[in-house]
Order: sequence, then C-alpha cells, then structure tokens
Amino acid sequence: MTMQKEEVRVTTNNNSREPIIICHGVNKWFGSFHVLKDIDIEVMPQEVVVIIGPSGSGKSTFIRCINRLEEHQEGQIIVDGIELSHDVRNIAAIRSEIGMVFQQFNLFPHLTVQQNITLAPRYVRRQPRHGADQIALQLLDRVGIPEQARKYPGQLSGGQQQRVAIARALAMQPKIMLFDEPTSALDPEMIKEVLDVMKELAQSGMTMLVVTHEMGFAREVADRIVFFDEGRIVEMGPPEHFFNDPQHDRTKLFLSQIL
Amino acid sequence: MRAPDLERQIYVAPSEPPATRRPPATSVGVLGWLRENLFSSRLNTVATLLTGALIIWFIVAFIIWAITNAQWSVVTNNLRLISSGLYPRAEIWRVELTAALLVLLTGLGLGIWGRVARSVWGVVLVALAVVVIVPFLGANIPAPTVHLLIEPQRSPATFVFLGNAGDEISVELDPLTDEADTATRQLGYVESQSRTTWSTQSRAATTGQLDLSDYNLSLAVRVLDSGLSPLSADGAPAAIVSTPAAESGTLRITLPRDGWYAVEVQRDDEDRDNNAGHAWLRIEGVDLFPSLDSATTGRGADFGAPPEVDRPIYAEERAHRFEGARDFSEFVSLQLAPFFKTIASEAFIGTALFANGWIIGSLGRHENAVRRAAIAGWALAGPAILVILYGVQGSNTLPIVPSSVWGGLLLTILLTFVGITASFPLGVALALGRRSDLPVIKWTCTLLIEVIRGVPLITILFMAKLIVPFFWSELSDIDLTVRMMIGLTLFSAAYLAENVRGGLQIVPHGQLEAARALGMNPFLTTSLIVLPQALRAVIPAIVGQFISLFKDTSLVAVVGLFELVGIVDTIVSGQPVYRPYQREAYIFIAIIYFVISYAMSDVSRRLETSGAGSVRR
Repeated sequence: MTMQKEEVRVTTNNNSREPIIICHGVNKWFGSFHVLKDIDIEVMPQEVVVIIGPSGSGKSTFIRCINRLEEHQEGQIIVDGIELSHDVRNIAAIRSEIGMVFQQFNLFPHLTVQQNITLAPRYVRRQPRHGADQIALQLLDRVGIPEQARKYPGQLSGGQQQRVAIARALAMQPKIMLFDEPTSALDPEMIKEVLDVMKELAQSGMTMLVVTHEMGFAREVADRIVFFDEGRIVEMGPPEHFFNDPQHDRTKLFLSQIL
Repeated sequence: MRAPDLERQIYVAPSEPPATRRPPATSVGVLGWLRENLFSSRLNTVATLLTGALIIWFIVAFIIWAITNAQWSVVTNNLRLISSGLYPRAEIWRVELTAALLVLLTGLGLGIWGRVARSVWGVVLVALAVVVIVPFLGANIPAPTVHLLIEPQRSPATFVFLGNAGDEISVELDPLTDEADTATRQLGYVESQSRTTWSTQSRAATTGQLDLSDYNLSLAVRVLDSGLSPLSADGAPAAIVSTPAAESGTLRITLPRDGWYAVEVQRDDEDRDNNAGHAWLRIEGVDLFPSLDSATTGRGADFGAPPEVDRPIYAEERAHRFEGARDFSEFVSLQLAPFFKTIASEAFIGTALFANGWIIGSLGRHENAVRRAAIAGWALAGPAILVILYGVQGSNTLPIVPSSVWGGLLLTILLTFVGITASFPLGVALALGRRSDLPVIKWTCTLLIEVIRGVPLITILFMAKLIVPFFWSELSDIDLTVRMMIGLTLFSAAYLAENVRGGLQIVPHGQLEAARALGMNPFLTTSLIVLPQALRAVIPAIVGQFISLFKDTSLVAVVGLFELVGIVDTIVSGQPVYRPYQREAYIFIAIIYFVISYAMSDVSRRLETSGAGSVRR
C-alpha cells in the first residue's frame, strides 16, 4: 500500500496525469463581501490536500464551491473534465463523483444507519436494494461499526455518526472526497476514530480535500497543505516545507499561534 | 474531656440492621397519590372539592335524566336516517358493504402499524356483550296504555295498529275528569301536528267536557287490507265489533288474525257545529310504533304495507313516559333494549370484521404481502367506496344513487374521508409551493392560502353553493355534495399548508446540503429527506386539523346537506312526534362526534410515540 502511494506521488510530481480538479481564477462574493479572491489550484488524482486557515478565511466556502453547494461568480472550476456551470446535468454529474462529509454530520435522522447509506445509491444510482445493502454493510465494516446498521443516527456517538457519514459518502463510489472540518464538532476522545478512518481512506488512494484544524493529521497524511487567509491562498506546499520552513509572514504568525 | 468528644465523632452501626418498614400509609398508594395531587395545599383542596362537586353534580344530574326521563326512542327509531340519511332502502347493502370495508381496513391497519392496548379489547368485548345481552333482559313490561285525544272536529279519527292473532285489546272512551288527569294523559297523546297546536288543544281539553250521548260517538275495530276495505277473515264479519260507545264505553276483543287493524271513532250526529268538549280514547294491549315510517320498516315484511286511511293516527312511545318516575328496569327494557336490539347484529359483524383485520394485520406485520395488501386496500378504498355508493351508469346491480340522498353518519364520514385524502396532498403541495424559488408559484400559493384562511368556512361553502356556479355555469351541474367536498378540501388544505410549512422550517439546512451533495435531485430531496421529517414533526397539528375538519363537516347542514347534524335537525323538525326530544337526538350525535374525534387523536398520539414516528436526532 505504501509502495503504491509512493509511486502515485512520483507520477503526480511528474505531471504525467491530468489534474482531477482545476480551479482557475475563482472569485466569489456573499452580497458585497468578497469571500474568495482569485483562487488558482490544481489537484491531482489520489492527492490529499489539507486546507487550513483562520475562521472566516473562505476555506469552507472554497470546498463547497467544488461540488456546487456554493456558486462561484467568476473563474473556472473543472472537476474530472467537466466544468461547473449552470447546466443542471453537469452539476448532477459532478456531485455524483464527489463525496462530502460535513462538520455537523448531517445524517438523516429519520432513517436507520443502513438506510442513510443505501438511500443515494438506490434512488440516484438505481442500484438494486440487495446489492446496496451489501455495499452498506461492507462500508460500515470498513469504518469500524458493522454492528450499528439497524440503529438510528440519534442512538450513536458523535464519532460513530461521522464515520457513518463517511460511509454514506463512499457508498456513491466517488472519485473525490471533501471533508469540511469533520472533527470540529466532536469530543476530543472521538476525534481519533474519525481521523483513523480518514487516514485509511487516504492510504487507499482517494483524492481528498480536507478542511481541518488537526495539524497532526495534516502533517502525517497530507501531500500538500494550502493555507487560506482573507479569501486567498497565502501559501501552499508539502507538509515538510509548510511546517518547517514557512515563507509568508501570515503563515508564520498562524503557525506560531497554533503550534 | 476526651470521652464525650470521642462519643461524638465515632459511630458504629449495630450489627443487626433495623427491620425494613413500610412507608407511612399517607405517602404511598391511593392515599399518597390523593394527598400529593388533590390535597397538597389549601388552594388545591378547595379547587378539588369545588370541581369535584361540580363534576359529580353534573354527571349525576345527567344520568338521572338519561335514565328516568329521556326518550331515546328518537334515536332508536331513526337509526337508519342517522346512519345513512335517505339512501334508498333497497340499496342499503351498499352502505353496509362500505362500512364493512372501512372497519376491516382499519383493523388491518391497526394490526400492522398500531398497537391496540389490551384494555381496549376488554372495553370492546364488554360493550359487545352488553349490546348482545341487554335485549334479552327485562322484556316483560306489559303493553302500555295508549291515550288518544278525541276532538270533536276530527271525524273520523282512525288509529292504526298491528295486531297478532290472540292479542287481547280493550278500547274505552274515557271521560275527562280533572286537570291532573289531563296532565298525565297528555303523555300518551299522539298526533301528527305541531307541538304548539298540541299544547293549545290539551289545554282546551282540560276545560271541555264530553257528553258521549251528545255526540253519538261510535267505536269500531276493523281488520284492514291495504284498500281499507274491511276484510272478511274465514268468513267472519268484516267489522269485528261495532259498539255504540255510549252504551258501555268499553270494547273488549280478541284479535282473530295477524294483520293491520284500525280503531275508528265515528261521530254520527246532526249537531256538527257543536265543537265543545274532548275525550280520551284509552287503548290497551296494542303494539306501539312511533310513525308510519317505523311501522312500515319494522313490520312491513311480515304484514305488508300499512293500509291507507284517512287521517291516520299512530301511537307513539310517549305512552311509556312517566315524568321522573321511570325506574331502571323500565329504562333497560324500554330504552336500551330496543336500541341494542337494532344495532346488535351490526355491532357484532363490525367487531368480528375489525378483529379479523387486526389478527391478520398483527400476524402478518412483517410480511410484505400483507403490508402491501393493506396499503393497496387503503389506496383503493376511496375510489371503490365512491363507486359502490354512487353506482355505475346503466348497471342493474349498482344503479345510480344521487349524492343528494346521501346523509347521516355516512355523509359525515365521506366528507371527512374525501376531505382528508384530498387536502393532504394539496396542503403539502401548497406548503412546498409557498417556499418555492419561483416567485409566480410562490405568490399564487401564498395568495390562495391567505385568502382561504381569511374567510370563514361557512362563507366558502356558500360560495361553492351559490357564487361559483354563477361565474361558471358549467359548474352548476356539479352535485352540491361534490361542491361541498371541494370547499371543505380547499379550506382544510390551506390550514394544512401552514402546518406543513411549520414542519418544513424545522428541517435544518444541512439536511438539504447533505442530500444535494449525494447527488439527489430536488424531487428526491423533498420526498425522501425533507417531507418525512417535516411531516413527522407536525403530526399532532395535522391530526388536529383533520379532527376539526371532521367536526366542520357539520357546517354543510347549513347549506342544505343532511349529514349528522342536518339529518337530526330534519328528524326533530320534520317529525313532530320527536320535536320534544331534540336533546336526546343531539346528545346522541355529540357522542358519535366525540368517539370518532377521540379515536383519531388517540391514533395520533400513538403515531407520535411509536418508533416509526419519533424523530431522532
């Protein structure tokens, strides 16, 4: 597994493969507030990008733009060769390629864990019920809670809920996973179980964009770290560079405050 | 110095633990509960005593009235009208089929999705036992005496009754004695005329005196065929007895055969202008029924249609009425028994069907086939019922029964059923439309909701009846009943939309985002994620809305439909013999309304607390 990962990095560095996400000159405003300013970034397949930055810096808004939960007003976002536009079919196509995990889990409280996971495959992908159930059980096994399939989300702990949310996103067999502060709403004891699942996912070769404040996770798992401030990318680079040799003053200030 | 100090600081419990004792009697059990809840403070005690006294006073007064005084025969004798209105008697099986279908489906649904508490079954079984057993109790009340007021202006006065071979009856002209006498006998007085005339006449009756010889009254008892021609039975004389009343005043006869009889009071004198004086005609031993309708329906099958006579008089059960003096056994045999006898077979079949449905449902609760059958049954029930009740054009088995003759409980339930099933999707659609991103849809829905909510229901019903056909003449062809259904549906849908909108607002935005992020389109998001959560949150409000819709159907009485209130109104105003018994009739339908409303709210409470219904976060 690790070997494979190294190979991937090599190919990524050689630019021999097409980037799976291309953002070019992305701008967004909330009313008159300029929240994203000229964002340019390319993400390679199987790359793990961790996005950090202070609150209100636009990092969440940025990853929500990638699956069109937020609409950007200027620039281009191209995901897996499809440009995000007003075309509803494009949006649907892109969303089915991208899984997303939210800070507040957003599990469907009226459905059991298993139904939460199988809902989208059955109704969006039109998979037969039996097959979807099988996949759901495999995914629950993968995130470490196979015994909770018949419970309702409200009966689970926060960490378990977030792992169900990851399984739910994976059930659509996405090429890219977006994580929007997945551990911020969790008790400290439960953060690790979620991060472990995410690490396993990263090692399996999933392309991931992770907004987080978990610096340990970033240092260990990220291929690249992107630092956002006031709606722009201030600094970007591999973890060794980012944590040990930051260039920008804002980055240095941020790191000095959190480390 | 040291010793007392130690004594204070060190304690060792005795090796034998103290015996466990019961708590004081005043803090547990019934006494404890009473003390804690009813007499906890001075104010509470006063409130308890006052309300308790009020409630007990009211209940006791009601029960005493219901047993000794009330005439429930108005209900018993009009059960067909109350249950199905003027629905043709020959087609009544269609109403029964409908009721059977609904009862079976309700049982099935409760068996699958609900939990019927064991105590409910206990109550049902006890009620059923009472219904079946009571008709056999205390049936040995002697046939009552009928008093008829004979007025000089009315000649001949013909009292029609049904007799069986071997019955002994006595007919007697009974002179008026004093005012007290009149007061009691009024109770036995029956006449097809308004109550005002009745009381005027009875007052006049107290003052008049009848000299039988003056009028030359004669009494005759005849067996009748439907043509009123005296029938000769086995060669016997047509008129059995014809006695000048003046001679003895009393006529005793043994009836020779089963059939219709008439007691005729004939006045045969020249002094026709002398209208002073009244008399009572006392008849003993005849079977009583309150009206032509009841005589026909009850006994027509055995004896044929009653004969057509001039100015017929029917005895009424007011003869049973002894103000404030009827004892409990008379109440049971004269009031309860006939009622229970009338409903016994229906109640029995209904309970059996319900139990069957419930057993199938609870055994097959996890079988997909049973669940699918129940859902399909409910889905098809609406159209099927309407077809069964309305009929098919040109069919012999299901001839058209225009909805204008639907009435009673049948119409109330139909209006509610149609109102609920139609207003639910419409209300949800309006609620979603009001939250739509498209301004035109949003404004239209908002306008519709606000206009309907800003207008009393009765106005909408009148609009449906009068104004709408005025604008669109095609609509005037539509049945009034259908127009009322539309009016009720619109009204209910507008309120429902606001309830549902409240539910939509509590679904967090994150749920929408999660659904969208999974690639679900707006339709899937709404139907699979938003609505299930929103509706579950507002189940109590929705059921409350449906209960008030059920009660609001009574307003169509004002527009001229004969649902429960309308038909009772017609019974007590259209059949003068029942005019004094409005209280009994309205109390009876109040009980019907209460039972159904309570059942609905009970089901809703179960839905809220059941596993499927509770929203878990």
